[in-house]
Formats: sequence, C-alpha cells, structure tokens
Amino acid sequence: MTTREFDGIQLERVREFVWEMPREGDMRVPARVLASEALLKEIGEDKTLQQLRNATHLPGITGHAICMPDGHQGYGFPVGGVGATDVAEGCISPGSVGYDINCGVRMMKTNLTYDDVRGHEEELVEALFANIPSGLGGGGIVEGDMDTIEAVLSRGVDWALEEGWAVADDLTHCEDEGYRPDADPSAVSQKAKDRGKNQLGSLGSGNHFLEVQRVTDVYRDDVGDAYGLEPEQIVVLIHCGSRGLGHQTCTDYLRKIEKQHGDLLAELPDKELAAAPAGSELAEEYYGAMCACINFAWVNRQLIMHRVRQVFERVFDRSWESMDMHLLYDVAHNIAKKEVHTVGVDPQGRPVEGGEAADREERELYVHRKGATRAFPAGHPEVPSAYRDVGQPIIIPGSMGAGSYVLRGGEASMDLTFGSTAHGAGRLMSRTQAKQEYWGETVQDELREQNQVYVKAQSGATVAEEAPGVYKDVDEVVRVSDALGIGDKVARTYPVCNIKG
Amino acid sequence: MSYELRPHTADVAVAATGADLGETFAAVADGLAAATCDAIPDTGERFSLTVRAEGLEALLFDYLDQLIYERDVRGVLPVDNEATVREAGEEWVIEASARGVPFSDVTARDVKAVTYSEMRVEKRDEPRFSDDRPKTDGGWEAYVVLDV
Repeated sequence: MTTREFDGIQLERVREFVWEMPREGDMRVPARVLASEALLKEIGEDKTLQQLRNATHLPGITGHAICMPDGHQGYGFPVGGVGATDVAEGCISPGSVGYDINCGVRMMKTNLTYDDVRGHEEELVEALFANIPSGLGGGGIVEGDMDTIEAVLSRGVDWALEEGWAVADDLTHCEDEGYRPDADPSAVSQKAKDRGKNQLGSLGSGNHFLEVQRVTDVYRDDVGDAYGLEPEQIVVLIHCGSRGLGHQTCTDYLRKIEKQHGDLLAELPDKELAAAPAGSELAEEYYGAMCACINFAWVNRQLIMHRVRQVFERVFDRSWESMDMHLLYDVAHNIAKKEVHTVGVDPQGRPVEGGEAADREERELYVHRKGATRAFPAGHPEVPSAYRDVGQPIIIPGSMGAGSYVLRGGEASMDLTFGSTAHGAGRLMSRTQAKQEYWGETVQDELREQNQVYVKAQSGATVAEEAPGVYKDVDEVVRVSDALGIGDKVARTYPVCNIKG
Repeated sequence: MSYELRPHTADVAVAATGADLGETFAAVADGLAAATCDAIPDTGERFSLTVRAEGLEALLFDYLDQLIYERDVRGVLPVDNEATVREAGEEWVIEASARGVPFSDVTARDVKAVTYSEMRVEKRDEPRFSDDRPKTDGGWEAYVVLDV
C-alpha cells in the first residue's frame, strides 16, 4: 500500500488520485484528499491536512471529509473542503461555509469574437473599471435602502427581475434559480444589513475580479454545443460573494454559537469549526440567515453582470441582446445546502463509512462546500433543462496567467464527493510573500506586453497578491477532476481584460 | 507597542506586542489597518468605541469586528488606534478610539473579517534578572489571522 506522510499525518493511496486518512482517535469518519502526487505535496505544506482531520470531528459528519485537488489552509475547515453532516442528527457549521457566504462565479456568453474586441481592450477595461464598484468603499451599483435590502435578502434574483436588472433566462441559468426560499432576513443582523446597504452590486477586492475572456479550447463538442461555447468566443467571468453582509453574518453566528453552545465547541479542535446542533434554534436561524446571504450574493453577481451588458452596449454601440449576452451558469462555492444523498448505513440505519455499511439509504445532509463547487451530473433533476442531458456547468477560475476552465458535472461526483468538485486553482504563496516577490505595476505591464491581458485594479498590492505565480497549477487541478470523473473538462478560456479591487 | 504582518497562505496575520492589554489590542488594530492599505495619510477625525465580551480572545475578536463594521458604515479606515482594556465583573471591556481616514484619501483593500484561527493573547515573560529583583512585567502579545 502506497503511503505518504506529512507532519505526522499518514495518507494511504486508495487508487489513482484518491488518498485516505484512516479514522483514528477522535475522528468520526475518515478523510480523503483527491490529488495528484504533485498537488498532494503542495497540500501537505501548510495546515490543510490538520484542518481536514479537524473537520472529521463535526457531529453527524457522514462518509468522508474531503479535500479537493486545489485545497489549501483556511481557518477551521480547509478551503477546497467538502463535509456533509446529517440534517436530523448532526450540525451546521458556519466556519465550514466560510465568511464569504456564496462566494461564487458566473460566466456570461456573448456572440463577439476575440477579433471584435482586439483594439478595444483599453477602452473596455477602463469602462468596466469605471462602472463596476470595486475595492473598499466605492458604493454599489444600487444604492440600497433598508427596504431594498430586505427584498433582496428575501427574494434573491426575483427582486432583480422585478426591478429590471435581470431577464427570466438569468434566473433559469443560475444555481437554484438565484433564490433560496428558506431565506430568513430577520435572522441577518442589523450590523450585517448596514454593511450590505452600501455594497449592493460591488466586486470587493482580494481574489475577486471581473474578467473578459476568450475561449481557447473546447474539449467536448457535444457539451460545448449544449453550453453554447466555441473557440475565439468572448465570455465574461464574474467572481465575488456576499460582501460585508455575508462576512458579518458568519462572524455573528460564530460568536452566537460560541456563547450558546460552548460545550459543543469545547469538543471541537478548532473554534472556527463552531457548529450549531441540528434541530437547535440556532441551527435554524443560521440556515435562514445563510440563505438570505446567498440571495444577496446572487443579486450582487446579477447586478454586476447586467451592468457589464450596459458597458458593452456603450463600447460596441449595439444592444446587449443583439450581442447574445446570456448567462451560461452561476455556481456558489462557499455554501451549505440541504441535499439528499445515498449513504451507507448500519443495521440501525445510522450513517457509517463505506466498508462497514449494511445497506445504503437516502439521507438529507447539510453539504458544506467551502471553496468547492457543486457538480451534478447529466440527468440530475436540479440541472437546468437546457443542460440536463450533458450535466451541470462548473466554472473554475484559474489565474490571470493560466486562464480558467468550464467543466461539466461528472458521473462519479455523487458517489465520490457528494456531487462536488474543485473551485479554482488554490493559492500557493501567501499574500505577504507575494508582495515581496512581485510588484503590482510590473505584473500589470508584463501581462499586457507579453500576454495581451489588460488589468486594472484599485490597488497595486492586490495585483501583486494575485500575480499568476501565486496560484497552483489549475491545469493539474482540472486534470485530476476530469480523471476522477467528478468534473469533466469542457472548455478553456484565457483572460483579455481583468478588473479587481 | 508594535505589530507585524505575518504570512498565511490565503490571508494575512498580525502579530502584535504591547506593555499592557490595551496597547497590544490597539497594535493589532493598527496591523489591521496596515493589512488594508500601505500608505496612511494624516487626515480624518477621531471616533470612539466600547466593546464588551466574555473573555480576552472574544474581546479581541469583537473589537476588531467592530472596527471593520465602523470602517464599512462610516466609510473610513480606522488608524492610530488607542485602547484600554479592563476586567468588569464577569466581562472584559475595551474602551478605544481611532482616527477615521476617509476612503477617498487612501487606496485600500477590503479585509473581510477577523477569524479565531490560531488566535493567541498571551502574557510575555521577561528573563529573570540575575539578582533578587522581581521579574519585570514583559507585557502582552497577540496573534490574529484576518480573512482577506
């Protein structure tokens, strides 16, 4: 049996790209890392594996705690982590969702080609930068008052449709149609709403960005056709989340859980894993608040996407409809969702790990995806009808140097990863180190001169921290996802213009 | 009192020291400001804040959380932080103030939140003197990871 050890943690190779951390000590279930040898070595370099092991302590965790190929250290739960807990008898854990609730990514298509955009890059990047708020302050596309915020929290993209910021197709091509009906705006604190009010329709900063891209490759023609992607096509990628509203909500509930369920917290190896017991009032409240934040984030991305349509209208002097600027899909990658999955159970009907299972049955689970994307395969009823024959689109932003990928949910995802795959390239280098290695303006100049990629940012420090070299190899992450059958390669895109905060 | 920004894979950490708790917490707050922007101008008005919590780490967490909140709703970056920390019965209280530099005066990034990850608030020991003088109080140190 091939094994690898990192800092006292042993992993056994189950099969190619699947590594298991056997259950021992206080671990409730085993853990798995899905990675090539090269990616595994990187995962072993920071505290990812310790955090993955800690995640196996969550009450009611079922199957395995899973680390995706792009996994890296987060807080509490690793980024690139999937943990499914029993809705009836387990818990829900805000830290296993992340501060940026419904951080996610959407891709919008156009009927423009790279040739149509060449020569307009500077104009386009300036116009996008001027019209989409980013960075700290800067306001939002919509100046929200409290009524607006309540409506957004309650109804998600339905609100945007009513107010003229969306068309019906935008809803049908979004995960959950852009609206979580379990949202409870009253469970979101006034502090969170105060922060969100000034940020409705804004990008934020850090690793959030908006990118005009060109499709460079289509790997599966049938899926490419179903998604409407072809080489040289211009597409737009938007990556951002629920802004201060979501961040505050996660913070609020971590503290509430700490104060109310301190005893449960004391049994967990990391405060950031703080979890509310399933069925408790706090668990219900957090779920309702989280769903409201999820709605906010979808509206955020919808507003930005619609504003991009308006910018393109101005730059290219025709209607966005005539440029076929339709939403391909929107996926969340920091989220916990109630989903039904088939799990192994013991004779008493309790979930157990695969080898000990007497039977398999359907259980409702809180699937926590923190830096991981849902990846439902062909035939799954929740995949929009336009894509049901080929599988759910997955959008994986890489880096400004490597480009991004579109995948489709693979046949093996439900069995292996609770219907999930990676979310991006994962960071390799810390922000402080990146600022020492890279100088923002140099990175910008080199990208423009060597790669014809036009970047505009609020701060040079952000560009340095997001330099291509700080990310893992997204090609390798996607290769593993494809080989495992959890997310199959469909297309690859490369940046043309990028704006960030 | 002083602070330092430390590496962390995806985020930023602040390590701070101070002669007493208040100085130390204020130094962490200055570190939070430094993580947000590189050059800090002299502009802005001072404002106050008071936060109470059930323990020291919780207090540091809630204090930084409150600063992030004030930042977003006032539209300012809280710098030149000052604070005193005291015990009040079962709780700890921090009475603090900061100078709020308007966003329009700085190029700043969004630090999303404070985390409990790897948080430390500890008294520092100073080495004993070779004679019988009492051990000098070495002050405090704190370590916080911020979500960027």
